Amino acid sequence: MSIRTALLLILVALRATNAQAPTSPIAPRSAAPGGTRSIAIDSRLAADAKLRVGDRVVVSSEPGVAGDTVVIAGIVQRSADPAEVARAEYRIRLHLDHLQGLLGYGDRVDRFAVRTRDARSAREAISRIDAAAYGFRAHRSADVAVETSKTFAVVSRFHRAIGVITIVASAIFLLCIMLLKVDERRRDVAALRLIGCSARTIVGSVVLEAAAIAVLGSLAGVAVGGAASWIVNQHYQAVYRTPLRFSIVTGDIVLLAVALSLVLGLAAGWLAARRLVRTPPLALFGR
Amino acid sequence: MSAIVDARGLVREYRMGDEIVPALRGVSLTVDAGEYVAIVGPSGCGKSTLLNLLGVIDRPTSGELSIAGERVDRLSDGRATEFRLRRIGFVFQRFYLMQALTARENVELPLAEAGLAGTERRDRALELLDYVGLRRRERHRPSQLSGGEQQRVAIARALANRPALLLADEPTGELDARTGAEMIGLFERLNADGTTIVVVTHDEDLARAAKRVVHMRDGEIVG
Amino acid sequence: MIGALALASLVRHRARTVLAILGVAVSAAMLLDMVMLSSGMRESFRSLLLAQGFQLRLSPKGTLPFDTEATIRSADSIAAIIRARPTVLSVSPVLGGQLHFPLAASMVNATALGVEPAVQGDYELVDGRQPSAPDELVANEALLRALGRTIGDTVSAASGYDPQLRTLAGQRVLRIVGRVRFIYLALDQRAAALPIGTLRAMNGPQSEGRASLEMVRLRPGADVERERAALAASLRTVTVISTSEALKQVDERLSYFRQLAVILGAVSLTVGFLLVTTLVTVSVNERIGEISVMRAIGVHRWRVVAQILLESTMIMLVAAPAGLVLGLVTARWLNSILARFPGLPERIDFFLFQPSAAWTALGLLALSGILAGVYPSWRGASLPIATTLRQEAVG
Repeated sequence: MSIRTALLLILVALRATNAQAPTSPIAPRSAAPGGTRSIAIDSRLAADAKLRVGDRVVVSSEPGVAGDTVVIAGIVQRSADPAEVARAEYRIRLHLDHLQGLLGYGDRVDRFAVRTRDARSAREAISRIDAAAYGFRAHRSADVAVETSKTFAVVSRFHRAIGVITIVASAIFLLCIMLLKVDERRRDVAALRLIGCSARTIVGSVVLEAAAIAVLGSLAGVAVGGAASWIVNQHYQAVYRTPLRFSIVTGDIVLLAVALSLVLGLAAGWLAARRLVRTPPLALFGR
Repeated sequence: MSAIVDARGLVREYRMGDEIVPALRGVSLTVDAGEYVAIVGPSGCGKSTLLNLLGVIDRPTSGELSIAGERVDRLSDGRATEFRLRRIGFVFQRFYLMQALTARENVELPLAEAGLAGTERRDRALELLDYVGLRRRERHRPSQLSGGEQQRVAIARALANRPALLLADEPTGELDARTGAEMIGLFERLNADGTTIVVVTHDEDLARAAKRVVHMRDGEIVG
Repeated sequence: MIGALALASLVRHRARTVLAILGVAVSAAMLLDMVMLSSGMRESFRSLLLAQGFQLRLSPKGTLPFDTEATIRSADSIAAIIRARPTVLSVSPVLGGQLHFPLAASMVNATALGVEPAVQGDYELVDGRQPSAPDELVANEALLRALGRTIGDTVSAASGYDPQLRTLAGQRVLRIVGRVRFIYLALDQRAAALPIGTLRAMNGPQSEGRASLEMVRLRPGADVERERAALAASLRTVTVISTSEALKQVDERLSYFRQLAVILGAVSLTVGFLLVTTLVTVSVNERIGEISVMRAIGVHRWRVVAQILLESTMIMLVAAPAGLVLGLVTARWLNSILARFPGLPERIDFFLFQPSAAWTALGLLALSGILAGVYPSWRGASLPIATTLRQEAVG
């Protein structure tokens, strides 16, 4: 049984006691020599069970078995770990030897975490550990993260697919609306052509207008996107009780969105205008 | 003879920003059944405004107006529409035919609105096209007809529901002299057959063909 | 006549009409996909959970089935207590674990399920038979391929592997008697099932009497929620969940996708609405003279509006089936992406087609399309006739 599992397993028999002996029928094991051990609990558990620093609780490895009375020494904020989102379990932290004893784990651990000075030192440490290790391997945290985040890779791909569909749909909508808008001005265009304005001038003015609309639209879109991102984060952070940021608007994303909408807007404007100037002016008047 | 048109003190004013522009300044006019009246006057004298009021497509600011014995100056939109459909025929300078419909279908349009069944509608439309001399062009679309032919279809359409009053706003305005003369002949025939007609026109020949000429200037009838 | 006018208007502007149809079709497709996404997962999970007819599931207190490595202590006693209830038809204990298969030059690892073959609900037999002896197991195609074995072959398996000492624990030789498809496991997940007693023995004393999960099948007509409550009250060391409870938990976990579906669906609807509104507005503006003439010759306002709305309705009628087809194609594509979630049961579909979903999507779109056309067409038909005619004459 892994310590991580044990962490998830530990059912806290909630007996917020005072300094006197607990009134629970489940008699706690005697405290370790040297007094009551302390634990830290996560903020979710503290909120749900209304626990505070200094409260005493009983921890056991399984429901119904004798446990240890411990004091809550700290309340820990959950980390911004995507793997924890939508998981409802609580987490507590104990001293390693305490947990090993509680679970009968002996002197086993699931993993070691090693902090090195820099990336070069990390590579050296990995090769030295692997050379000396017997039955275990060292990995860079980044590599582990990649392996364990396959779920989010799928979600990313899904988002990208939605993005592609949205872009295709937007292109069609944009073209349709530009066509409609330009069509509305066919008489004006006809009059301009009849008085001698070149097709190039007309196409240029329509494209310029489309560009202005695209730029303004992009800026509005960025503002809306930023607001939506904020709302998404506020909402899901509250729902899942996590500090994780679900949506991040970066400079690259803004640049891509603006560039894409500009390109689509210009293309739509150009296509619509070209169509109009190809029609003879008198036909545009309906004659 | 009973009056088809009985207009008393008609005033029509338009608000242009802060200014109020009077288009009609208390016009009174009576048109008897079977009359053929031409309203003439310089541009901006209010003759088209008067015609619009007679056609119940506009409302007077004040005054009283009765058409075929019915007060029409304060009708609701629905009642006014119904009145136009059944009692008024309107011919426009620019014909205003539905480009997507054939000549026959254009004439059928008001008949369909009046609830006439398919074959009855068709027969009536063909009868009217025959009357204006366009039976053989019934399947043609407006774009395939000359200006004069389009105007004749428009007249046939205006006569569809046997209106009490036929109004025409510059009916020869878009036509050449020869076609215009044909149109004048058609109006004379219509009147001879009993249709009460009021036309607004700059065309002297058309005005001369009318039985009575009403002169307007600056929103008033001057003669 | 109204139909002829509407059709003529659409034909007159072919490019615009085609683009509008395409735009509405894309809107319809996205809307359909989002409706499928919001209800698909739930329905898919429900059918999965009810696939073998087990209405209740017991897991270690405070956990969901197979959410952790925790096990139920005294699982056999608990199963006996449950079986004694008159409403219970059968109880299927399941113990999860790992099996390690040492091959000549490598080690193949697989998920192991200890089951009671007579009442199990975790797999369907594809070929061969159920294990009837302690040293027999069944495996899925992925495991058989990895092992290079087939039905009838024997294989050495161990329940534990110490990578430091390179030693295997709980090793024994097992005979493969069947090829199965695991209902709740991913397609490519290597897995085997064997008698629960065998797996417990291989795991050692700490596994004695333990199970990861107990599945309960009730007699027809039994009140599921009442049974759940009764078991939860009497068995304090386990969590008892019904299918509906499980679905609720799943809903919570996958609420993100539902909410995404709602948001994207609303956006599709809005964009489709805007497209139709723009189309109708431009169409009305172009024909304002024609509309005023129709009003002047006595055509009622509502009929003019009806004619204009007929145009947008015609676009909808053509776009809807196109959108349906496009939606099904994109749903398959999106589903194939999400199906790669690690550990996702093979039978889970995120986008489940239900005729009701299609009707909902298309109905919503049709309604929004009609509403989108109402205001501009009503506005166009309500303009003052005389003024408009004069402006059109001057123009």
